[in-house]
Amino acid sequence: MSRGNAVLAAIVGLVFLVSFASGARVGGGWFWDLGNALGFLGLAGILFQMIPAARGAATKRHERLGYWVLAIAGAHAFWFLLGDGAVRVYLQPGAPLAMWLGLAALLVLAPLTLLARMPERARVHRSFRGFRAVHRFLGFAVVGTASLHVALTGFYLTRWLQDALLLAVISACCLGRSYWARLGAPAVASAPAFAAAGLAAAAAFVLARNLGR
Amino acid sequence: MLFAALLVLGLALVVFGPPPPILRIQRVTIAGAGRPILPMRFAHDDDHRGIPCATCHHEFVDRRTGSTCMHCHVTDPKVSPLLERQFHDLCRSCHIKEQAEGKPAGPTRSCVACHQTDEEF
Repeated sequence: MSRGNAVLAAIVGLVFLVSFASGARVGGGWFWDLGNALGFLGLAGILFQMIPAARGAATKRHERLGYWVLAIAGAHAFWFLLGDGAVRVYLQPGAPLAMWLGLAALLVLAPLTLLARMPERARVHRSFRGFRAVHRFLGFAVVGTASLHVALTGFYLTRWLQDALLLAVISACCLGRSYWARLGAPAVASAPAFAAAGLAAAAAFVLARNLGR
Repeated sequence: MLFAALLVLGLALVVFGPPPPILRIQRVTIAGAGRPILPMRFAHDDDHRGIPCATCHHEFVDRRTGSTCMHCHVTDPKVSPLLERQFHDLCRSCHIKEQAEGKPAGPTRSCVACHQTDEEF
């Protein structure tokens, strides 16, 4: 396993482990737990993509993984919109802040991903430096809104300890450029590795909460 | 192009709801209430039998009986903005506790499991 894939698997595992730190056997049913597993996987993917590194030739893999992360985040949203007739009410006026934050995260993640590809990128940004600054800013905005969405919905993260652990994972992924540089290879991973780690974590997440109930 | 199509589809789902047979739940305005609320299925003679009344009915403890829950919680402008959070906390916390203890529990997350009128259930 490459170093990038190992880091990705570790981040996916850590994000899901945070959810197990309280009420590991408490679930919302197969439909809800599977939909939320997609959400946690999307968050893990976003966090991996945030690891600061000079990617260079590995940019293509970073880009490809970005599409997967966007697809997973979109699947999380559409899963509930298509499967539960009351969810849409929580995206209409009067909805709680947590839901607005989730919607904002998805709406920022889309341009962050789609406007980073060539040739669109060149049309929007004249210089690479300008692109990088905007790309990073949008990345931080997505992490902020998505993690607040997870914390404020408060179903799987019910204790302050879990919020603190998630914050620690977020900080480790978004900060510490020099520490990540010591790992050697830039933090890039393949889409199949993301799918495999996600499948294993989501299966554990759903089965632990629903099997035998 | 694909993203634009998904955006339109998402917007349509939020405005019009999912296609049948999935139930589409709308907020409704109860007479005298300021804010529209989601319909709610709740019957005393179902799984809530055996739970002490005062667990939910604080008016029994406060000695203010005589009106329905909705009378204050929906129409009182001081407490009506808290309705959703208060009732989600009240119902869900109990369901989650019971599920964590391995007992048969009510819905912990699924919106449509509770938010249906009795006729639709």
